[in-house]
Amino acid sequence: METFFNILISGILLGGIYSLVSIGLNLIFGVVRIVNFAQGEFVMIAMYATFFCFAKFGIGPYYAVFLVAPLMFVVGLVVQRLVLQPLQNEPMMQVFATFGLLILFENSVLAITRGEGYSLAGTYSQTVIEVFGLRASFARVVVFIAASAIALGLMLFLSRTMAGKAIRAVIQDRQSARLMGINVERTYLLTFALGAALAGVAGALLAPIYTLSPYIGGNFILAAFAVVVLGGLGSVPGAYIGGLMVGLMESFAGYYVDPALKQAIWFIIFVIVLVVRPSGLMGQAGAEEVGLREQT
Amino acid sequence: MRAPLETAGAPPSFGIQLARYAGLLALSGVPLMLLWSNPYWVNVLAYTYLFAALAAAWNIIGGFGGQFSLGHGVFFAIGSYSVARLYLDLGLTPWLGIFPAAVLATVVALLISWPTFRLRGPFFAIATMAINEACFALANYSDKLTGGPRGILIPFRAGLSNMIFIERWKYALLMFAFMIVVVLITVWLRRARLGHYLLAVRADEDAARAAGIDVLKVKLQGMALSAFLTGIGGGLFAMYVRVLDPPTLFSLPDIGVKFALISLIGGIGTIIGPVVGALLIVPLENFLRGTLGGDIPGGHLIILGAILVAASLFLKRGIVGAVLATMRRARRRA
Repeated sequence: METFFNILISGILLGGIYSLVSIGLNLIFGVVRIVNFAQGEFVMIAMYATFFCFAKFGIGPYYAVFLVAPLMFVVGLVVQRLVLQPLQNEPMMQVFATFGLLILFENSVLAITRGEGYSLAGTYSQTVIEVFGLRASFARVVVFIAASAIALGLMLFLSRTMAGKAIRAVIQDRQSARLMGINVERTYLLTFALGAALAGVAGALLAPIYTLSPYIGGNFILAAFAVVVLGGLGSVPGAYIGGLMVGLMESFAGYYVDPALKQAIWFIIFVIVLVVRPSGLMGQAGAEEVGLREQT
Repeated sequence: MRAPLETAGAPPSFGIQLARYAGLLALSGVPLMLLWSNPYWVNVLAYTYLFAALAAAWNIIGGFGGQFSLGHGVFFAIGSYSVARLYLDLGLTPWLGIFPAAVLATVVALLISWPTFRLRGPFFAIATMAINEACFALANYSDKLTGGPRGILIPFRAGLSNMIFIERWKYALLMFAFMIVVVLITVWLRRARLGHYLLAVRADEDAARAAGIDVLKVKLQGMALSAFLTGIGGGLFAMYVRVLDPPTLFSLPDIGVKFALISLIGGIGTIIGPVVGALLIVPLENFLRGTLGGDIPGGHLIILGAILVAASLFLKRGIVGAVLATMRRARRRA
């Protein structure tokens, strides 16, 4: 029984990681209607920035997050303004462009670091919390709490504030939103930057957990896609709950089936959801088709 | 996605069109004739022709059909592994082995596509990319079939019936012939009913359905043809490199996305675009890998990524599209 609970805990904590990474991706998807293949690379860059803060200035990751998130916000602004805004109504070219950014970022970091592996692990992830005989890494608990807080905060922001309402109006209908006097382009710009900043938060908090590698973004982006499809395209609570579900499934399958097959398991989930309920568990029905609807 | 279709008055007759493309293809064979004694360039050209053919095969469903697959690496890998297994286990000559391999790739493509074709645009791209990664994991896992992470090594036994040659130019010639076959198939397809249906689906799926086209069937047919040719290409690749490991076969930047990238640079949805793109990208990449590879790890991919971003911003219709537009403008002025 204790094994079961330990797997459960590790699955929930893994789910927290996936949720944290997926929320930004799904926010960008839901509002700007762009599938950002480079989102995992935003997380990766943030991880390196966090490491840099620690190695150069001795700033720990839980303080560095307040530097790294604004930095990624700016990166997001630049990418959206220079690359994605001109491609607003060309979904195919967006795929090319964000995939190009993925290759570009990944290999730029590889070139700069010359493939050397960095790690913050020693200092932070060793701390273990123990409650009722169940053990959990401190860094992972922080990630889970952050993911929960961000999901809740984002939902409140979207439902309570004027800016949040403007964003939801744009989600529902770009043209009508524009007619109501909402600056749609600025909403896109800020949302994309916000999504990148969330990737920044994720990167800073994940830096103590993973060994840094230029290719680490690829691991996150696939899990995040599975989460987004499962939870529902464009839904913040969907990304949160979907993340927890994928984490749990991976954790249980890893223990009871075979860890080498985890990606195959994501994929089976993926296909089942696509066939049974293409809009995901909490997404708007038809969102998977709306993505291409002309919205000028 | 909503690129205007090629409309330039009445299309020339099939014979004239065929002759035109045959001329262009013969032109692409000139470098091989000039460089056939230089092993470095012959190797580059063999890859160029192979990738031209593979990009042209991708272009059938990705360009004409507008279904942006990033999962063609799966069909490619199935072709490679099947040819290798049939050759190693049953002693079947690759010349015949490529056909069952391509059929298997087609069957898998249909099974994968049936659920994923209900997704549109970028979501289809995500799903196919996930399939590629899942198959990568499966290939690493199934030791008996694929040799797992170590891969399969095909021993060097030169001979025509083994499709293993000592002289590299023979490989280059083989790839060149394959490219011609694939391009001529697309010339035929562009005029056939299926080709028109695919273009209609790309232009507007709902309108195509309203006009009485069975959209799913058309997409599946396009995918089947595309995957069949990709499977054959995978088989030829297997006999050329003779080392098959999952990281190579399922690499997104080097295989799956490369097909799409080559088509984009040359001109998506044009017949000759993939050939033009391959003639440019493959030698360029080899050159960059040679000059930058030693000093800057990943240097050639930095430039490739930048090209991809720039092309999506400024060269949406590819080189062929840009040339056609310039010609049209010149004609109007004249």
